[in-house]
Amino acid sequence: MTSATRDVSVPRVEMRGIHKSYGALDVLRGVDLTVGRGEVVGLVGDNGAGKSTLMKMLAGAVFPDAGEIRVDGVALTGSGPRAARAAGIEMVYQDLALCNDVDVAGNLFLGREIYRPFSRRLDHRRMHEEAAQDLATLHIRIKDTRQLVANMSGGQRQAIAIARAVTFEPKVLVLDEPTAALAAREVEMTLQLIRDVSSRGVSVVLITHRLQDLFEVADRFVVLYEGVNHSQLKPSETDLGGLVTAMMGK
Amino acid sequence: MSTRTVTPARASTRRGARQDFVTRNFGVLSILAVLAVLFVFFSVQTDAFLTSNNLVNVARQVAPTVIVAVAMTFVITTGNIDLSVGSIVGLTAASLAILAESRNPLVALMLTLVLGAGIGLINGALTAFGKLQSFIVTLAALTAVRGVALLITDGYSTPITSDVLLPIGNGKLAGLYTPTWIALVAVLLGWYVFNHTRFGRYVVAVGSNAESLRRAGVDVRRIQLAVLTLTGLAAGLAGIITAARLASGSSNSGTLFELEVITAVVLGGTALMGGKGSIVGSAIGAITLGVISNGLVLLRVDVYWVPITQGLILIVAILLNAKLFGRISGQRG
Repeated sequence: MTSATRDVSVPRVEMRGIHKSYGALDVLRGVDLTVGRGEVVGLVGDNGAGKSTLMKMLAGAVFPDAGEIRVDGVALTGSGPRAARAAGIEMVYQDLALCNDVDVAGNLFLGREIYRPFSRRLDHRRMHEEAAQDLATLHIRIKDTRQLVANMSGGQRQAIAIARAVTFEPKVLVLDEPTAALAAREVEMTLQLIRDVSSRGVSVVLITHRLQDLFEVADRFVVLYEGVNHSQLKPSETDLGGLVTAMMGK
Repeated sequence: MSTRTVTPARASTRRGARQDFVTRNFGVLSILAVLAVLFVFFSVQTDAFLTSNNLVNVARQVAPTVIVAVAMTFVITTGNIDLSVGSIVGLTAASLAILAESRNPLVALMLTLVLGAGIGLINGALTAFGKLQSFIVTLAALTAVRGVALLITDGYSTPITSDVLLPIGNGKLAGLYTPTWIALVAVLLGWYVFNHTRFGRYVVAVGSNAESLRRAGVDVRRIQLAVLTLTGLAAGLAGIITAARLASGSSNSGTLFELEVITAVVLGGTALMGGKGSIVGSAIGAITLGVISNGLVLLRVDVYWVPITQGLILIVAILLNAKLFGRISGQRG
């Protein structure tokens, strides 16, 4: 923990002038995004507006062509997924980023397996125990952490991806369409989870097509349109129609 | 982490665990069944098969295949392939003999191992960092490395006379030949690393969903580099064993060896598309191929029946695996 972490005036996440192109396609053309401590930002925009790409950059999975990313004031531009995780950024990817041939506990601990120092032996037992506890804490009903993820339903898979992101006490939680495969009750649980973590000071960026959900949890909407910042809106100052109009670039 | 009060879900149930064991080890269990049937068949049909002398010999003959199959299991589980292992066997067998002519045999041994690992390292670097398909890279190596072996030997074999090197192929300990012991160690070590270390976990994850692993902060390229270096090293070891056993290093050693190794790995239930592999299965697969060729020779059938039978067993085993496995595991997708 550096002194910057405790300095409240520094925003938790600061992305400035982010550019990214894939060949001739300019996905992001100078986007800015700031997220405060405990703030829930609804990142909205039409398909192809660049939401997912922007968030993958924050998580370190995609490198920007230009621009700057700071977390708690510390530069984190283009340093990769490991550094992003170390800085406390966790993301639920739209494709969930699970390994089908690895079991539930293995997916939860992917990249940070617990092992004994001398023999380098994985501590399977502890990982399964902790995974079972973590899932129970989140009220996720999965009866056996030794099941392969390939054999699970879409809702269960999504729940595992969410559990993986929130279990390791992130500072920033990025959720890219986290409720796409969830039933109504599970959606409500996910929204409650977002409220819970943000009340503990975790910053949340939520991307979802369920705009009504955003009005329930978001403190602020950031609207992207064709790779640029279009506008920022407060939930209290707009309605569903206003948000949709902004997403269309008007 | 210590303040949790919610009752956790059961980490596992006994029935689920048993079912899982069958599901996960189905490939191994089916090849084990095939091996058992062949074993009984040859024991009944021939007098010579079920003798300790013969079995000890089979255990020595299959050793190079077992050793390289263990390493190849890592490569194939990542979704890659190494076609160059046969040529590396040829080059390292020849190199060991040539190096031992003028150098300390132990130095020759180390240099040969480094040579094998070095070729694997080049394969790995081109695959991982050059973003080329391992099939193409190692296909090129298959041709080129054999060419180098023929070039440095002019096609001739070089005799090995060193008392240090010959026991690697012909030494005996507790009734078993040295190659068998080396293979046993390779299987145990491979099994441990594959199932009980982070590296093994990442090997599976690379084959299952490399992008997910990358996003989890693991350098996928290093895993690919490591597994292909491992097959190079294992092939070097196989080349040394082969040369030491024959007391001669030949650049023609290991012709079609890569296909035998891949057959053994696939027989053992490892998926060519990656994500699923079994070290024990690969070892049993290699032993099965060795038992087929040994048994058929003892039956005095035409030697050309050996590859035909091996091919048929492969098809039958894969069919059984694909058809039955899907039904038993109830796997989606």
